[in-house]
Amino acid sequence: MKGFPRFIKAFLFLFLFVFIVFPFVPLVLSSISYGWQWPNVLPESFSLRAWEYVLFGSSDTLRAIGVSLSIALIVTAVNVVLAVPAANALARYQIKGKWLVEAILFAPIVIPPFVAVMGIHLTFLRIGLTETILGVVLAHISPTLPYVVRSVIISYNTLSTDWEDQARMLGAGAFSRFYHVVLPHLLPGIAAGASLSILISLSQYLITFIIGSGRVVTLPILLFPFISGGDPAIASAYSLLFAAMAIGTLMGLDFALKRYYRNKKTAAGKTVEE
Amino acid sequence: MSELRIVNIEKQYGSLQQTGSRAFSLKPVDLAIQEGEFFSLLGPSGCGKTTLLKLVAGLLEADKGELWMGDADLTRVPPEARKFAMVFQQPLLFPHMTVEDNVAFGLKMQKSGKKERIERARNMLSRVGLEGYGRRFPNELSGGQQQRVALARALVTNPRLLLMDEPFSALDPSLREEMRELLGRIQKELRVTVVFVTHDREEAFHLSDRIGIMSEGELLQVGTAKELYEQPASTKVASFLGMKNIIPGAISEGRFAATSAGVDFPAAEAGLTGPAFLILRAETLQLMNSNAQTVRKDRWNFEGIVQSLRFNHGFYTCKVEMGGLELECSLSGQQVQSISRGQTVPLAVDLKDMYWVAQ
Repeated sequence: MKGFPRFIKAFLFLFLFVFIVFPFVPLVLSSISYGWQWPNVLPESFSLRAWEYVLFGSSDTLRAIGVSLSIALIVTAVNVVLAVPAANALARYQIKGKWLVEAILFAPIVIPPFVAVMGIHLTFLRIGLTETILGVVLAHISPTLPYVVRSVIISYNTLSTDWEDQARMLGAGAFSRFYHVVLPHLLPGIAAGASLSILISLSQYLITFIIGSGRVVTLPILLFPFISGGDPAIASAYSLLFAAMAIGTLMGLDFALKRYYRNKKTAAGKTVEE
Repeated sequence: MSELRIVNIEKQYGSLQQTGSRAFSLKPVDLAIQEGEFFSLLGPSGCGKTTLLKLVAGLLEADKGELWMGDADLTRVPPEARKFAMVFQQPLLFPHMTVEDNVAFGLKMQKSGKKERIERARNMLSRVGLEGYGRRFPNELSGGQQQRVALARALVTNPRLLLMDEPFSALDPSLREEMRELLGRIQKELRVTVVFVTHDREEAFHLSDRIGIMSEGELLQVGTAKELYEQPASTKVASFLGMKNIIPGAISEGRFAATSAGVDFPAAEAGLTGPAFLILRAETLQLMNSNAQTVRKDRWNFEGIVQSLRFNHGFYTCKVEMGGLELECSLSGQQVQSISRGQTVPLAVDLKDMYWVAQ
């Protein structure tokens, strides 16, 4: 950051503040206010009523966080398992009708999820997958998979097949080649895709609502009724909780990744000292 | 004895591809490489030498033909099970592993114990002159050091064949020479069989026991450096080896004649009749002292006009014009002092130094 002139630094800081920190201020205020009405700039009186309700009043909250996180993590794990071979094929092989496969794969990014969800809902009703976590997990895969595939494809594009040829000539079989050579290279791409997948899955409302039919209660399902005409203080508290959950998960992922790399380095250091 | 036999291997590259690149085919190659031999494939880029190497490695699948090592048929054996090693043009060290782990990778794949792995890796690293570099990561090494590590990594498993695909062409000249010395020494120490691909004549001549010259997907000639140089099988081989003096003409009744140049002299040793090329190596053209030497029977004497003189490390390359032909000869610094551009000089070639190939 040394090279930046001071005014650019100041501008960036301001930008960061206005777009990321500032929106949280009214949320925090609202969550601890008691009847905050126009035209008051600040709430007239404060209370912790909303937080009490969110954290202790209803046992649903913790369960909802648990459901949200487990759905997001399962969805992401499934996505990674699906995306790696798919990206391998799409990045490296000349396949007939590749554009069609890519178009179908990336369609959920452009087409509103609502369109697909109606059909999915009908199908799931017939095979009895509605109102189940499994059903919601499957439905969440459609809007999240494209991001994971995309980021893993980019990782594959920067990995020349020479590396695998080299590992092969050193006697590495298919599994060893993947585990020792390909996976370490893909890891940053997988991490990027997984973060997106987690975030998108966590913030799904519509899909969860339709497929889960109100029985699979994630945090957005709890949050929504309060936003659309309920208690704004409680809605604010839920929103903050939601943000904390998302940020916490990403930080957890980041931490795991850093620890993985640090372990690699120390393991390498140790073998030398033996 | 386990010699490597390449039996009529051939490969055709997609004529169906619409990529615009012309179809390439490797014509059947039949070759036997002795155990412990250093064999080079020499040819211009795009001649198919890397393709042949990858076919031997198993990284490409041959359309036809077989590959044998001793009495084992390796044609259908996947590359990871062939117990070959390969060094590529790029070092391709795994960036997330230390140098030592890189070198030990092959041993790890063979499931040898950790202690043994590290010990052998260190041993091999010190052989390539990188003692104490084991705990560094590849990006902390220079290009030459990285290629040394790649060599150590290939050799540590005692491969029965080491394949090298222009391993030194990305290095600068002085480093390349150093690596050449190192490779030559290690190859003799470990007595490993090597197939070495290069487009660098000097490199091939310096290192190889035998050389195979390739051009346009065809193995033209196989022989020792001296054989190839003194008895090239065709003008293609001769010109690839840097011979400039190739004179077209015809042999009849034991005499070679190139009418346009006014050349006519006995060619009994050629053993050919009909149209032929005369190949004169640059160093066989001798500069005569204008007065002293008498005309001898076993020598072709002629006069040429000096066109240019160019200093080449240690000697001069002199171009002379003779009857419309341009000939190149090598002269020492002392000889050059007495001649200058535009001068007519007497030259001679011993008949025994002449070599003919059929046209």
